Amino acid sequence: MTTSSQIGQENYPDYDALWHLKTIGVLDQGCNRPDFTPPCDTEKKTRVAVIDTSVAVDHPNLAEAINEQLAIDLFSTRLGSFPYYGDVDKLGALELNATTQVADGLTHSSRLLAELNDRLCHGEPTRVGTIRPAVAPEFSVHGTAIAGLVGARPCKVDGVENTLMLPYAGVDPTCEIVPISTNFDPDPEQMILAFLYAELIDADVILLPRIIPDPIRTQPELSGHSVNGQELGPLVAPCPVTAEQEAMWSELAELIVAVSMKRPVVCAAGNANEEFAIYPANLATEHNGIISVGAMNSKGYRSGYSDARNTTVMAPSNDSEVFDRTEVRLDEQDRDYDGVGVPEKNSNHKFSSFEIISTDVPGRFGYASSPYENELSDDTLREFGSYFCQFGGTSAASAIVAGFLALGRSSGNLGTDADGLAAKNWLLSKCQIVAEDDMQHLLPVWSGTPYFPNATQEYLGA
Amino acid sequence: MSTPIDLKDAKFIVTPLGLKIEGSSDAQGEAGTGGAAAAGSSGVLSALSLNRNRNRNRNRNRNRNRNRNRNRNRNRNRNRNRDDFAPGGSASLQEPWKEREKLHALLPEWINLPIDLPPSPEQLRREAIELLKKQHLLHTPEHAMRQGEILTEASLELSGYLWPLGLEEGSSFVATETLFHLILALTDEIGLRYKSRFEVLRPNQVEPRLRPFLPNPGHASYPSNHSFQSFSIAFIFSRMLPEHPASSELFHSARRIAENREWAGLHYASDTRAGYQLARMVAPILEDVCKEQMLDAVSEWL
Repeated sequence: MTTSSQIGQENYPDYDALWHLKTIGVLDQGCNRPDFTPPCDTEKKTRVAVIDTSVAVDHPNLAEAINEQLAIDLFSTRLGSFPYYGDVDKLGALELNATTQVADGLTHSSRLLAELNDRLCHGEPTRVGTIRPAVAPEFSVHGTAIAGLVGARPCKVDGVENTLMLPYAGVDPTCEIVPISTNFDPDPEQMILAFLYAELIDADVILLPRIIPDPIRTQPELSGHSVNGQELGPLVAPCPVTAEQEAMWSELAELIVAVSMKRPVVCAAGNANEEFAIYPANLATEHNGIISVGAMNSKGYRSGYSDARNTTVMAPSNDSEVFDRTEVRLDEQDRDYDGVGVPEKNSNHKFSSFEIISTDVPGRFGYASSPYENELSDDTLREFGSYFCQFGGTSAASAIVAGFLALGRSSGNLGTDADGLAAKNWLLSKCQIVAEDDMQHLLPVWSGTPYFPNATQEYLGA
Repeated sequence: MSTPIDLKDAKFIVTPLGLKIEGSSDAQGEAGTGGAAAAGSSGVLSALSLNRNRNRNRNRNRNRNRNRNRNRNRNRNRNRNRDDFAPGGSASLQEPWKEREKLHALLPEWINLPIDLPPSPEQLRREAIELLKKQHLLHTPEHAMRQGEILTEASLELSGYLWPLGLEEGSSFVATETLFHLILALTDEIGLRYKSRFEVLRPNQVEPRLRPFLPNPGHASYPSNHSFQSFSIAFIFSRMLPEHPASSELFHSARRIAENREWAGLHYASDTRAGYQLARMVAPILEDVCKEQMLDAVSEWL
């Protein structure tokens, strides 16, 4: 509880940048020791396919985490290009799950799967003509933060004067990440190809920390609403949706479910208190492997922007202020805090200032900026601040859960034969209940009990 | 070139100033000052990174939307059309500093009036569906008249309040027009204070399928100042001349002006209702502040 003399003083506490790993029991609370045995180098790495923006693959904490041979860019070319092959202009023999049946019965998806299989054949060009992949690190901000949360590796680098530790790690610092970068054109074909590619490369986990802008499934859906006897959806659509597009959007929804039966698909539930979660997180049911992830803050409360209803699990993230009929949760330490209009009974005590820290695009671009364009020519870092950022939302929470699943696979706790549904059930078996008022949140916990570093009292279990 | 390390050897601590490395390495150590600390010579990162202010802007969005672009849009609009219904024009006369001074002296009486708190995002999304319907209907022949009204009412213009009284702007009822301008000026400030408290996103920022007929004003949505200001004129006029047959008609006109902002996709119905609530509760304050102008205006009618 903030006393009146403390209000607006900006007395924010220091905190461990990896607090979220301690909350879910992956890091020991005392000595920062990872609470698992990493697999030996020769074992196949757990593969996490991330459908998002591109990633700053040269970030020192990510360089070892990215599978540059499989990273594909669907932003600038329809069937994708491979951005990180350097001078190599032909694809090698990719190990593909070419016999997959996820597209069976889906006309458009089957056609696209055949096209994609052809595209990925041994000897096919890595790039399409002179078309440049859209993967410049400067604009790979979201994907870089997501990748760090999943699988960043702690490392040391050369600083200007001496060696510099960068003690940052993702939930599973042994996994490999395959960025599948897309643009945000509401185009069903691109997303179908993205999921088919994740299926073909046999990803252990698929992470989708974003919304898919399906014009029909955008929340709230307009089906059932009409005006003057006409359906409202088509009337207000900025561009008419053709019958073929509508069919492809429906196929995409079916495909995501089909893929999730084979491998877990982790989705962000949305950052605007969406009652039924954003699409496609709202496809999650107990009968498929889609996992809808909401956000909790470092005090153990639902984050202000996240709706806990209809989510599969919750995971650590940052918080936000709320001032509406459902809740008043304001940051009393904020210098602009104004108690006028704040009801006596409020939830200000629930607000947490802790952010999620993740990897960021180095240099002037990214969420955290630097006055320098980049490091010195010999890879010496001039500063390390722009390499990390404050991050949050259910994007961050979903990345943490994807990392948790990867860790289960890497450590052998989650068997390699576990399909999407089995993986989801394993995740649920690792969850502990965190009680909040009349709600109960499911939080994945690797070992021990949930740890909330900013809580006013120790968590005693539900 | 990076080399793997063990997390036991060092850790990052987030401080209000930036990121600090703690650990046993030879590289970690002293806190830096402002600016970008050189890697290797400093354990504390510059305030340029992990910048709380930058993040606070995102958090200050109390509608909990994490989309940075939406916030930026709002900021970008801030300097454009800041006061969507601020006084101006020939009849507005000068800045009413005396009345504003009186208003400020009464601040404890109007700064925290019990209007409903804003709806939750979930409720706002439901309200936005009704705005989508209005968006479609606005372009049908039976509602074509609203388009002209919306454009006219976008800036200060008194015809909507004067025609029920049988007047035109620039008429001989100068005191009445001056009073109306004064009410608009004072209520503009009051409304902006409430908007700033709740920071509710505009409808098209919650429902991207909405395409507002006019650009969003550069401030928050709740409550609607068009509603608040229009109903304030109606309430004050009805206090002044309750027996005037147009007193009730002014309320219809105010409601039409307020609802036109919904038809334009700029306000939720809940914004309109909150504006009405505020106008009703603020009226006694305005009456006190504007009593001389009300007296002058009444004399034009009696």
